[in-house]
Amino acid sequence: MSATAVPVLEGRRLTKRFQGLVSIDDVSFSLAENEVLGLIGPNGAGKTTLVNMISGTIRADHGSIFFKGQPIDHLRPFQRAHLGISRTFQVMKPFPGLSVLDNVVVGALFGTGGGETSIARARESAREWIEFTGLTHRIGQSAEALGGPDRKRLEFAKALALNPKLLLLDEVMAGLNLVEVDEVVGLVRKVRERGVSILIIEHVMKAIRHLSDRVMVLHHGEKIAEGEPSAVLSDPRVVAAYLGTRRT
Amino acid sequence: MQRSVLVLVIMSVIMLAFLPWIASDVMLQFAINTLLLATLAQSWNILGGFAGYVSFGNSVFYGLGTYGTAIAMAQFGLPFWVGLMLGALLAVICALIVGLPILRLRGPYFAIATLGLSGVMGAIVSNMDIAGANIGLILPLTRADPMFYELSLGLLVVTTVCVAWLSMSRFGMALIAIREDEDAAGTMGVNTTRYKVAALVLASLFTSIAGGIHAYWITFVDPASAFDPTLNVRMVIMAVFGGSGTVFGPVIGSFLLSTIYELLAFWISTAAALLFGVVIVLAVLFMPKGIADLALAKEPGWRYFLRNVREHRL
Ligand SMILES: Nc1ncnc2c1ncn2[C@@H]1O[C@H](COP(=O)(O)OP(=O)(O)OP(=O)(O)O)[C@@H](O)[C@H]1O
Ligand SMILES: [Mg+2]
Repeated sequence: MSATAVPVLEGRRLTKRFQGLVSIDDVSFSLAENEVLGLIGPNGAGKTTLVNMISGTIRADHGSIFFKGQPIDHLRPFQRAHLGISRTFQVMKPFPGLSVLDNVVVGALFGTGGGETSIARARESAREWIEFTGLTHRIGQSAEALGGPDRKRLEFAKALALNPKLLLLDEVMAGLNLVEVDEVVGLVRKVRERGVSILIIEHVMKAIRHLSDRVMVLHHGEKIAEGEPSAVLSDPRVVAAYLGTRRT
Repeated sequence: MQRSVLVLVIMSVIMLAFLPWIASDVMLQFAINTLLLATLAQSWNILGGFAGYVSFGNSVFYGLGTYGTAIAMAQFGLPFWVGLMLGALLAVICALIVGLPILRLRGPYFAIATLGLSGVMGAIVSNMDIAGANIGLILPLTRADPMFYELSLGLLVVTTVCVAWLSMSRFGMALIAIREDEDAAGTMGVNTTRYKVAALVLASLFTSIAGGIHAYWITFVDPASAFDPTLNVRMVIMAVFGGSGTVFGPVIGSFLLSTIYELLAFWISTAAALLFGVVIVLAVLFMPKGIADLALAKEPGWRYFLRNVREHRL
């Protein structure tokens, strides 16, 4: 196997139970260098659980996760961040008492490779990511004061500030209007052009269709489909899973 | 703005350094006590204010500093500075041993776990002959209040400079991120365990030196006063009253509360403790973020107080 064929991320037979209830059921997947993998599935399918396992906030009961061919199961979240794995939280986790700038500075200071050693340089790179996500006009405000869409942008900027090699996006477009969704789709594209590999969870199918090279579908913790976006999205089992549990 | 604050602080320190030449004996004793308490509050601030870990175990470090100094001087006839170093060493070792397991606990669980520490250490010490068991130790008498005053002032300055550096450093940023959201900090690459333990070690260092100075100054140590848990409560109140997580808040808080307490104790001795309690309850109700936040608030006084009552009710 040549070096370029080693996937950035690989999950092998991952299983996670919560009090007997299976959230992730024997799921295997892989993500190639600079690929965008869409992850979809109805509410409660296990998507966030999978991201938690990859970023290390929860551990798998069975199975293994490999980053660039190395197992990372034993690593704590901060060590995975140093390797270049960064994520957003669906239930957003801003640092409420800090300004937008300081929120993003943390990512730059401690991210991939251990982060910047100089605060001044970290501020500079944080400013760039804030500009990139369109938050410059809020840079001095406290994160608490931000409205929904700006909070999403902040969550995105914080994750980018780590300068990741692998970015896990958990519903960064939820609650955004159509114009804002298009904006974020554009931003994700640009991030990808920088060579970042991306796992993106969205309920906004248009965005998934536009961004993903491949799509993987979870339902009740099981992988029920995987492949080229338009084929997967028209797969009768996928349609049935979504129709059966649609909330909105 | 920043520069004028700096100039003001430096001027105040220089003026304070001359206090022994003008103050009465009683005044100087009050000043030494106040400076040491301010150092304790400022040390508490490192973990409690910046990282948000409310420790009630810092009086252990104070006690170890006290006993380290006392044992070195009373039992081995070693010089004072060696005693300070021994005390600091004991405290730092204790912080490392206790910190690793206990700092895994979050919020109230951490606070509760630290509550028992001083009791345990006090019991251990009262059973050690080298520490004078439950009777205590008497240190060589030195009548040098001006020296103790300058030492205490120096220690407070060093501790505060350290906290000021912290507030601008990568280390401080890590602690603040931990306080704001520890899980988010971890996934953003902050080695939370390492920074929390480092903060506790730093706090234990300054706290123990304050204990050592106090021991030599009053020339007597015993388990009950060295490992007094109410001392820790005072650290917390003073730091929070002034503004925890700020550079000068804990110092201002200690100076003010010590002064209020001393005046009350002088004029109305029996009611002093009660009134002190009232001051604290009112402060927590109307300005839970401390004097530092009040000083920075934009709205006029009463509106600031009312907003706090509104925001912090259940
Ligand atoms: N920490 C936890 N403790 C207990 N149960 C959990 C925990 N995390 C997730 N679950 C359960 O696991 C299942 C999968 O949840 P998960 O959040 O991964 O779904 P999801 O696909 O992200 O859904 P959504 O689209 O609503 O975000 C759910 O039934 C959920 O209740
Ligand atoms: Mg989810």
